[in-house]
This record gives sequence, structure tokens and C-alpha cells, in this order.
Amino acid sequence: MAKNAAQWDSPPTFPQTHFVDSRVYTDDAIFEEEKEKLFRPSWIIACHESEIEAPFDYRLFNHPAGVPLIVVRGDDKKVRAFYNICPHRGNTILYDPAGNAKRMTCIFHQWSFDTRGNCVDISREEQGYQKRFCKADAALREVKCEVAFGGFVWINITDNCMPLREFIGGAMDILEPYMEEPMEVFHFHKARVRTNFKLWHDTNSEFYHDFLHYFNRITGMLQPGYYERRYTPFANGHATVGSMQIQYDKYEGSKERAVGWPKMAVGGWYMVDIFPGMTYNLRTSVLRIDTAIPLGPNEVLIEFRGLGLKRDTKEERKQRVFDHNMIWGPFGRNLHEDLLAVHGQGRAMHEGTGSRWVLQGREENSTIHDEVGMRHYYAEWSRRMGRPAYDPCREGKSEPVRAAA
Amino acid sequence: MQSEQRYAIEELIYRSCLALDAKDYTAFLALCDADFHYAITTYSPELRREQVWLDHDRGGMQTLFTNLPRHNSDHSPITRHATVYTVEPGTDSEVNVVSALQVFRTQLDGGATELFAVGRLHDTVRLNEDGAKLARRTVRLETRQLGYGYHVPF
Ligand code: FES
Ligand SMILES: [Fe+2]
Repeated sequence: MAKNAAQWDSPPTFPQTHFVDSRVYTDDAIFEEEKEKLFRPSWIIACHESEIEAPFDYRLFNHPAGVPLIVVRGDDKKVRAFYNICPHRGNTILYDPAGNAKRMTCIFHQWSFDTRGNCVDISREEQGYQKRFCKADAALREVKCEVAFGGFVWINITDNCMPLREFIGGAMDILEPYMEEPMEVFHFHKARVRTNFKLWHDTNSEFYHDFLHYFNRITGMLQPGYYERRYTPFANGHATVGSMQIQYDKYEGSKERAVGWPKMAVGGWYMVDIFPGMTYNLRTSVLRIDTAIPLGPNEVLIEFRGLGLKRDTKEERKQRVFDHNMIWGPFGRNLHEDLLAVHGQGRAMHEGTGSRWVLQGREENSTIHDEVGMRHYYAEWSRRMGRPAYDPCREGKSEPVRAAA
Repeated sequence: MQSEQRYAIEELIYRSCLALDAKDYTAFLALCDADFHYAITTYSPELRREQVWLDHDRGGMQTLFTNLPRHNSDHSPITRHATVYTVEPGTDSEVNVVSALQVFRTQLDGGATELFAVGRLHDTVRLNEDGAKLARRTVRLETRQLGYGYHVPF
């Protein structure tokens, strides 16, 4: 029998760890708090080292907490990151998303900065400031920056943050053997979707939705070993999913992947979800990286990267690009399906729609259709936010109203 | 070039858009030669490199069209607007055609139309006894943000 209002609004009959209140996806105040409590103290992937290969190469990145950043390789080859904000009158210093700049010069009044964040020129400095202000007073704001875990540039905008290695803990152990060789980004695109950023990360944290993907049903779900893939939770909200053998040749037009990945069995597939919104996804021939940049409670910009090996021959690279495009490219079969699903969640789940609860109640021994990946995320979310995800506005609804038999 | 030839080439480009708009893949492939090749490419200023987003021969396109109905897709129709800009002689019986392309998407509920993508069609057209056929099409996209995306190639 369908539910009435009281029944619909009453909490699910699961333990409180097994569902979340949909206001975690829709509430403005919660969203503002997430930027401060989740994103500001976390390590975030800004780009990959291959995007800034030469000295003076730079790449811009808008940090999920809102800060515009420049990631730049110095004359000494070291990668550093700075606010892309001119200390003079607050202009954007670099405008193009990537480039090579020996001097980073603000167009407004031509103050100039080097790749170490020093101000090296103030136009008519003496005349205007006499001895009251000088270049040393006009340095850029530097943020913590490390190249790690497959050559990715990790940023932290909080000075006294937890070290990156401690933040990641053992979550990358499953992937590190496959990321020893230098990689290269061959694909980049952004998708702006009207949905909450966590709904994207949730989708990357549960495989039950393989039912959404015809490709995965055919090449994965119907194949031996599928139900043995397991989730492993790690400290700080990260989780990994182990491999199975994907039978790519079961999908018409696809074939057993011709280029593999060093040390990995053909058809292998590993995933690592990093709190609060990044995913490493290594599927035989391609590593995909998602970085979620929330723009509002119901809007997210996702950056997608596809990587191959730096040493790829032309033919190998072509095959990786082909494999990537088939499922993960902007016209790929799986990506559109995933985006369509979270777009649908955004339609049904924003202020005022009447959406109340999201179930995360499946238990299957931490195997592939268990929803433990999401539960683990929301345990960390609740800890960091100081609000339980099942009751984030602390209304204390507790006893479920059961539907009449 | 004779005006009838130019007319036939333009009509081929426009018919290819009409067929794809109607998701009439049989009609679309009927406009393509046996060795037809289709690609979507774009330049990424972020990576400062060229990207290929789709790359299929005729068989690959046929398979893609067969597979698409098995997938979950956005059902809102898209409308391709092409304008043939230049037609220039290529090798032998081939001509190179550059057209402007705009793709609009219309929501099923309420019918609001939004600009979805802009770019260019770089087509190689082969002129033979049975008229003009598409030998190669490269959709050169300017737009790189496609929201929740689309399954059917532009
Ligand atoms: S605002 Fe940058 S130089 Fe004045
Ligand atoms: Fe998916």
C-alpha cells in the first residue's frame, strides 16, 4: 500500500547508519558548512604533473572551497600553488586555464610575480610607495602542494592541515603498484550538473547501480567473479573496491582490451574513492579521475580526466582513447547514464520537493552490491560536520511510522 | 565547380543532419560511403592538446547505432543546424566541405530549447556515379561542456 504523509516523512526502518536525511543534499546552510568543514581542510587533486611538464608551465584550478588557484612548475621544476589573486587590487592574475609564464604579470597595473610567489616588479614602486611598501610586502599567498599518488598535484589550502600521507592512509595501497610508471592525461572535460556533489560521489561509491549500465551488466554483472568484488573502508572516509575480470568482448563492438596496464591482469578494475569528492578508477587500459567541485547545494562541476602511460606508442594511445571514449567519454555509454541518473536525483531532491530519505541499507558482506561504501562516507561526513547524516537538522525524529499491513 | 554539384554537396550535408535529427540511422548511413569514417574532436586549452571524443569507421557507427537503444539515454531531441561555408576540391573525386554547426536541445517537458553545442563539420564528400557520398566526417567541437551529456553523435 502506498504511504501517506506521516509514513513518507518517518525515518526508514533501518539502523540510523543505513540511511541519510535528504536535506544533506539540499540545505543551503549545510552546504556552506561543508565547504568549511569538508573541503577547506582536505587534500584535493588540482591537476596532473603531465599538464605542467615544463618549467614555468601553469594550470588554474578552482578549489571546491571557492579559492581560485594557480599551480605552477618553478624554474627549479618544483610544483607550487598560489591564490590566483593579485595582492594589489584583487584582480585575477592569470586568466587562461593553462600556459607557460616566466613572469606572472597582472594585467591591471602590471605587478609581476615569479614562480616562487615573489613579487618581482611593482610599477613605479618608489614614486608611489616611497619606503612604506615594497615588493617583499606584495608576495603571493602560497598553499600546500604535493605531487603524489600517480603524479597528481594535491593541494591543501589550510596551513596546519594533516599531512597528505596521513590523510590518504592505506586507501591508495590497492592502486600504487599500478601507478609506478609515469602517466599522461589525454582527456579532460568538465560537466556541470544540477545535483549535489555527494550524489556523484555516492554513485562512484556503489556498484548496485550497474543495473543502470547495459555495458556493465553484459561485461561484468553476468560474468563469474562479479559478486566477489569487495569494498574496503579506510580512515578519513575513503574506500576501495577490488578487481574482477571484466569480459569486454561480451559487449557488441567492444573486444578484449588490447592494451593493458603494467602488472595488471587483462580485464582488471580497481576503484578508490577519496573523501570528500574524488575518485580513481582504473579499468584495464585507462585511469579515470573525477574531481567534484560543488557550486551550490544543487549544482556541481565535475572534472574528468583520462590517463594513459607516458611511454605509450601512438597505437597504444589510440586504443586507450578508444576504450575511454566507449564508456567514459562525453559521448560514452556509461558516463551519460551516470550523469543522467544524478541529474534525475537533483530534479527530485532539492528544497521543497518532498524528498525525505535516501536508503543505504544493503548488506551483502561488503561485496559489490553492499552499500557500505556510502555508509562509510556518511560516518565520516557526520563526524566532520558534527551533525548526524540521518538527522542533520537535529529534529530528533526517531520512531518509524510503519505502513498499515 | 558547377552549381548542380555544389547543390548536391550542400543537400548531402543537410540531409545528413535531418537523418540524425530523426535518429534515422539507416538513412544516415545510406548517405555514407563504404569506407566512411566519423570522428568528434576538440582542442582542450586546459591540456593544451587535441582530444578525440569519438572515432569510428562505418562498422563502428553501425554497431553504435545498434547498441544505443539498449542504453539509458536522455530522450530530448536535438536539432542540428548546419550552414555550408566552403567547398574546396580535394584529391581525385573528393571535395572538402566546411560547415558551421549548431546543436540545440529541446526539453520534452514544456519544449524549452537551449543551445547545446557549437562547432564545425569538416566533411570529405566523394562524387561518383550514384551522386555525392560522405567519405569522412569530423565534428570539430568548440563547446566542451555538455552538461549531463548525450549518447547520439552530433
Ligand atoms: S590589481 Fe593587480 S596590479 Fe593592480
Ligand atoms: Fe556508473
